[in-house]
Amino acid sequence: MTVVAQGSGTLEAIPRPKSVFQRNLNLVRELSITSFKLKYTGSALGYVWSLIKPLMLFGIMFVVFSVLLKAGAKSPDFPVQLLIAIVAWTFFTEATTTAMNAVAGNGDLIRKAYFPRWILVLASTTSALLTFAINTVLVVIITLLLGDLDLTWRSLFAPLLYLELIVLVLGLSMLLSSLFVFFRDLGHIWEIVSLLLFYGSAIVLPFSLIDSKFPKLSVIAGLNPIAQIITDVRYALVDPSLPTMAHYIGPLIAIPILLTVAIFVLGFTVFTKLTPKFAESL
Amino acid sequence: MNPVVEVSHLRKRFRLPLDKSSTLKYRVTHLRSSSRYSDLVALNDVSFDIPSGQFLGIAGPNGCGKSTLLKILCRIYKADSGYARVNGEFSAFLELGVGFNPELTARENIFLGGAMLGLTRAQLRDKVDEVLAFAELEDFAEQKLKNFSSGMQVRLAFSVAILGQTDLLVMDEVLAVGDASFQEKCFDTFNRYKREGKTIVLVSHNLGSLEEYCDRVLLLNHGAIVADGPATEVTGIYHRMVADHALAAERDLTTGVVHGDPNRTQTPAIEFTSAALLNGSGQNTRRFDTGTPLTIDMELLVHRDVGDFVCGMAIRRADGLLLAGTNTLMDNVSIPRHFPGDKVSVRYTIDSLPLLAGGYIVQVSVHHPAGTPVYDWVAPAASFRVNDMGGHLGLLEMRGRWEVEQEADVPTGAVRPILR
Repeated sequence: MTVVAQGSGTLEAIPRPKSVFQRNLNLVRELSITSFKLKYTGSALGYVWSLIKPLMLFGIMFVVFSVLLKAGAKSPDFPVQLLIAIVAWTFFTEATTTAMNAVAGNGDLIRKAYFPRWILVLASTTSALLTFAINTVLVVIITLLLGDLDLTWRSLFAPLLYLELIVLVLGLSMLLSSLFVFFRDLGHIWEIVSLLLFYGSAIVLPFSLIDSKFPKLSVIAGLNPIAQIITDVRYALVDPSLPTMAHYIGPLIAIPILLTVAIFVLGFTVFTKLTPKFAESL
Repeated sequence: MNPVVEVSHLRKRFRLPLDKSSTLKYRVTHLRSSSRYSDLVALNDVSFDIPSGQFLGIAGPNGCGKSTLLKILCRIYKADSGYARVNGEFSAFLELGVGFNPELTARENIFLGGAMLGLTRAQLRDKVDEVLAFAELEDFAEQKLKNFSSGMQVRLAFSVAILGQTDLLVMDEVLAVGDASFQEKCFDTFNRYKREGKTIVLVSHNLGSLEEYCDRVLLLNHGAIVADGPATEVTGIYHRMVADHALAAERDLTTGVVHGDPNRTQTPAIEFTSAALLNGSGQNTRRFDTGTPLTIDMELLVHRDVGDFVCGMAIRRADGLLLAGTNTLMDNVSIPRHFPGDKVSVRYTIDSLPLLAGGYIVQVSVHHPAGTPVYDWVAPAASFRVNDMGGHLGLLEMRGRWEVEQEADVPTGAVRPILR
């Protein structure tokens, strides 16, 4: 008998880690790194695009609102305010739009393998978060060098606000990704809602402008968590003289925060409720 | 000791919407019509246990609920009622390469596929080279998966899939993968699992591999277990079930040929007017016992004088396997010349039917001695079932003889080797 030596004959299995949490975390990491990597492979500039896109948006918005409409004329550091807001907003839209497809776009995985389904949403958010984190660090470094940032103890407030943003994004992601499996119109609806939020959250304008021109509307706009997060981040990072959202809406400030928590809970509930139906509906 | 798998009164029903539309407009405009579904019962009260170390096969025709059962076992689907419990770790190969990404390299896909199995990057790092070696892909570690041939992809997928240590392995028809040499390796792996006493569930259409590997086979049909037992027994039942099913689809043709059948090729020279199956006492029937006589009684009507002609018959198993076929020419029987309007009766008699239990089909034909033209050909002309009282295995009763000799002078109690 002749034995042809070709590769190794056996492959011993590896015992899985005992901790399910560790396994899930590892899967989230692998999936988010993969999607982050894939987003930029094949293009010549790769990751740089994820920085160019918000910068372009910033450039356009800056020219339109700051230069042509003189929106932020009163505060000289409005460009920095705008930049920080746009980086955060880019994270919000990118994360929510990719999350929309996190379940529906992974039908193959869901129909053929078992793992907790929330991993898909968390991985999609983490992937967007990765871009956001790099962009934020870059923007902070650049603006710090330019001397436009004002980092003091109150800046410690910013990570908390970003945390609020992440919680909001996660809640919306769970809600959107699970509902999108059953209602495909949601994709279009969310585009419209996003546009509304973009202008309703005073991203391209100082909130004070809305407040002074439409005081009644500003209360409603101020209740939306994104407006609150952006306004307060500006206060925390750029200019202590800027009023916080609490200044505009008083004790109602609890509402955007509670709303964020409520959206998260709602998203989680809906997602858990719909999870068993994913495999059959895809 | 607890069984590795406990399945109890599992039921699963799928609601198939009659008009599938998931747009909002539809939902709003058809608020009341949400109840328009047709129900498909995929699993109906299925219960079984798998003790540790058993190699269980699941067989059944398409749509019998095999895949649904597997998916519930793997927690991909949720049961409507009842439960399926797996005590321990399991790996599911419902399909190889799930989670792989064509844009990533082989190495990256090992990490990704491993993560799907629950393995961490640190664990996999030491193992990557071994996996690549096993998959015979050492030279392609940094190549993107999309540039791999399908055989290479399957090799990589299989090698990753067996990485996770499990108490239970669930596989769905993935045995026939890769080229011959790699297939050998897969089978080696399965044999090793079997030796190591792993509990394995294998769903397959390939009755051969079920017979080869499985200790026990479940036969599912219409969402219920119809047979549960040793592999050879259950695959035998499955064969019969397939044959019965094929028979049920046949038209009943014990007497008279139906004209205008699309399967029937006709030229007007000579045609079959009937084909009937008769038993030993000359009665028309579709049920025979092994070892009893069977006569195929054919009636021909001659429309045109064609000189000598040949009449033939063939018997097929219901799944199409040709079992026997002959004609008057081969058997040196001549049919004399006939003239238009003549009726000819031709009979073929089998004195003792050698066929074992199953469903069979008879075909008849009449043609020129040279083979063509074929004047008439009816397939199937008749169908029948055979019952075998003796419980013999296989297709045919061999009519063999056993002889047992006993030598009287051997002292009782002595052990003699009987092998030569």
